[in-house]
Amino acid sequence: MLSAKRIKTWYLVHKWTSLVCTAFLLLICITGLPLLFAEEINDWLDADPPYAELPAGTPTANLDGLVGIGRRMFPGQIVVSMFVDDDEPKVIVSMAPSWQALSDDPRSSHFIKFDARTAEVLEQSKPLDERRLSFISLMLRLHMDLFAGLPGALFMGVMGLLFVAAIVSGIVLYGPFTKRLAFGAVRSHRIGRIKWLDLHNLLGVVTLTWALVVGATGVVNELSLPLFTLWQRTDVQAMLAPWRDKATPRQEGFACGQVAFETARQALPGMVVTSLAFPGNRFGSPHHYLLWAKGATPLTSRLFSPVLVDARTGALTAVVEMPWYLRALEVSRPLHFGDYGGMPLKILWALLDLVTIVVLGSGVYLWLARRKSPVEVELAELEAGT
Amino acid sequence: MSASRVWRWPITLAALTLFGLLSALLGEGGVWWALSWTALAVPLLVIVVCVAKSGS
Repeated sequence: MLSAKRIKTWYLVHKWTSLVCTAFLLLICITGLPLLFAEEINDWLDADPPYAELPAGTPTANLDGLVGIGRRMFPGQIVVSMFVDDDEPKVIVSMAPSWQALSDDPRSSHFIKFDARTAEVLEQSKPLDERRLSFISLMLRLHMDLFAGLPGALFMGVMGLLFVAAIVSGIVLYGPFTKRLAFGAVRSHRIGRIKWLDLHNLLGVVTLTWALVVGATGVVNELSLPLFTLWQRTDVQAMLAPWRDKATPRQEGFACGQVAFETARQALPGMVVTSLAFPGNRFGSPHHYLLWAKGATPLTSRLFSPVLVDARTGALTAVVEMPWYLRALEVSRPLHFGDYGGMPLKILWALLDLVTIVVLGSGVYLWLARRKSPVEVELAELEAGT
Repeated sequence: MSASRVWRWPITLAALTLFGLLSALLGEGGVWWALSWTALAVPLLVIVVCVAKSGS
């Protein structure tokens, strides 16, 4: 049984952690709603021509052919990376004026979208800095980092931590505040403050596990950039040490990207190779193709394995082991996104998100209403059974 | 009211939510997805029932 002093301490923790994070959490919950349905919204807004109607099993076009088309369309430019979608028949080839230009301004890159089977060009993007921000990108930036990059992501991570602290302190307070009531009782005949306190307690306690999981995994996701950077600067650099002083080969002298794909597929049977970064890419190695492969089951499809293939010979250099903290990050992602159980799960996620918005809103209302009625008075009322 | 009575429902709902979150993640679709949807729908139904009862 908590003493009155302890209850007051926990009440202060709940009040201040909630108050500091509420405005940002409301923004996160509201922008999270369209993000849940990002795929559907993007498909709906997509103005690209439809994919050709072809029989199932039509083979994919040669990837080097697609790179060749890109080079002919933009002579003198470099190919940065290729993405082979395993969901839709599309291949995205990213290009940039040069590695230097890309390093000076990452927004100078652009992409060409191909039909993976016919090699037809379906879309040519403008460079990133000339592109209009899509609705989903706008929601994502507001959700993730408030357009402030790494500092914004870390700030939102701290807000997420405060949210988790608010939930934990809310759990501690739930007992003393509801011990005289039947579970889920909402005293709708009472004044607004009591009715909303009951609703706040009911909605909060019913959804607390979901809110804790989504909140905690959101915090972990906000750490993804520093964690990936740490891994690249430590493990990846150590692995690439033997090539550090060698000159970067010219793209014309590379082994075929298609060969690199086949090498990676053979190295990781049962996995799906989805992307390839060309040598020189800041996310890869100056001497290797860096390919990413993922598993084929719902869980393992979240776990990516990087593969290094020698750019000159097309031979396998290494399948890179991911450190535990990046594996944890990958597993936490679906539990934050809610996109791993079909449309019904997304709808449930959206409803739980709406409930959280009501919990946050009612918390602010209770704080405003309670300023005239300190926690001691409230507890005395509860003790008296009124 | 005893602590066990206060916490009986919250703990049951927490266990159901955890099961719902993990069954779709670890299961291979099919029945695991259906179980996940059912488990995660229960907390929402509990809210509807409690609010409806309070209004009656």
